[in-house]
Amino acid sequence: MKVQAAVNRILLALAGLALLGGGLLVLAGGLDLLPGTGDGRLPGPHDVLLGRAQRTRFTGEGWWWPAVIAGLALAVVLAVWWLTAQPGPRTAGRLVLGGPRPPEGVELRGQALGDAVAAQAAGLPGVRRAGVRPVGRPDRPRARIALTLAPDGEPAAVLRALCEGPLADARTSAGWASLPADVRLRVAGHRTRRAE
Amino acid sequence: MTTQQDLPVPQAAPGGSEDPARAGGPRPSRDGGAAAGAVPDAGPRPRRPWSARRVPAALVAAAGAVACGTLLYDVVAVRTGAAGGAWRRELADGLATLPLSDARVLAGAAAAALLGLWLLVLALTPGLRGRLPLRVPGAPEGVRADLERRGAALLLRDAALRVPGVGGARVRVGRRRVRARVDVRFRDPRQVREDVTAALRAERRGLSLARPPRLSVRVRRAPDRTVAAPAPAPAAAHAPAPAPAPAARHEEEGTR
Repeated sequence: MKVQAAVNRILLALAGLALLGGGLLVLAGGLDLLPGTGDGRLPGPHDVLLGRAQRTRFTGEGWWWPAVIAGLALAVVLAVWWLTAQPGPRTAGRLVLGGPRPPEGVELRGQALGDAVAAQAAGLPGVRRAGVRPVGRPDRPRARIALTLAPDGEPAAVLRALCEGPLADARTSAGWASLPADVRLRVAGHRTRRAE
Repeated sequence: MTTQQDLPVPQAAPGGSEDPARAGGPRPSRDGGAAAGAVPDAGPRPRRPWSARRVPAALVAAAGAVACGTLLYDVVAVRTGAAGGAWRRELADGLATLPLSDARVLAGAAAAALLGLWLLVLALTPGLRGRLPLRVPGAPEGVRADLERRGAALLLRDAALRVPGVGGARVRVGRRRVRARVDVRFRDPRQVREDVTAALRAERRGLSLARPPRLSVRVRRAPDRTVAAPAPAPAAAHAPAPAPAPAARHEEEGTR
């Protein structure tokens, strides 16, 4: 989802620039910080944000209202599209196994693989809970793994065990050349323990 | 807590570093080395992950959709013969009559500028400050991992508490530095501090952080509310402590 991150950041930057620039321009005009405000190009303290003459400048033209409606409709559609793109990547519903084509009718449910990996990962020493979700393309999924470590868990050892155990097993049994993964580690909260 | 005082414990090695591999000079090699510790086949340092900024994007998108949708609805209503909303008339009046020097306009402009600045910051910074990227030793390609800073603090606190003589410990994990404050109940505080530093260093190795933060350990005499351990002549224990060391603070890298 690199593309989505880039789109989000570009649009956020554009919105931020517009707000910042507009706000600063109005502030500077209102505080009379701009030189030569008499010629009407730069705003001065006695100008208004949107004068009546400016607002009604094109309202007599036949194309104005259709254009306004079309522009607003386009803006709404784009904003809704941007909004609906936000809930991260969906769990891959079905997965295509690698290697020679599997017999007809055989497919792997995405969550089945996720549950299997999670069950195996939760059994690793030092791991208390595990959640796994395959996302992305059916033939090249990515595993999203969230592990909650027990207080005696050691991230280095857990990661090594995870890569050599559940992840490697899933990759080989599904026949994929590689199975990239994003692993997020947390530590279960616990009380203070003191030495004797 | 205000009754606690920093113990005057001298530096073990004046201006020195207990971790020679990290002191001065060029940084240790990226693939392990003495600092990152022990793992011989550690891969290259992973790049810091960047947040996708979903939440701010969703908020901006929702605000834009609502604003444009409301205006669109009213414009269409007026075009089809219905009465327009009063809000639109008031808004147009306000835009046409309020001078820019009006306090409301200025306040709105300032708010817009600040919001815009914030959105720019969100767009240009990596984010995910609460997570520490990890080095995955011998990882298959495409495997990335990170650890919550809070979790790292818990594990480091436990490591400090396992040191004998430590009665309490608070560990704050920053993105570049770990600060541990340890209350000493018994044993020589100097010794405790050395042990705590060693324990934290070992634990730091186990965290497998891509960018091991520096350690900073302070020991303090715990308040005298416990009689569990017979304090071995607390005044005499560190009598030879010289005056100039103001606090038992110990920086790993003497001159940063």
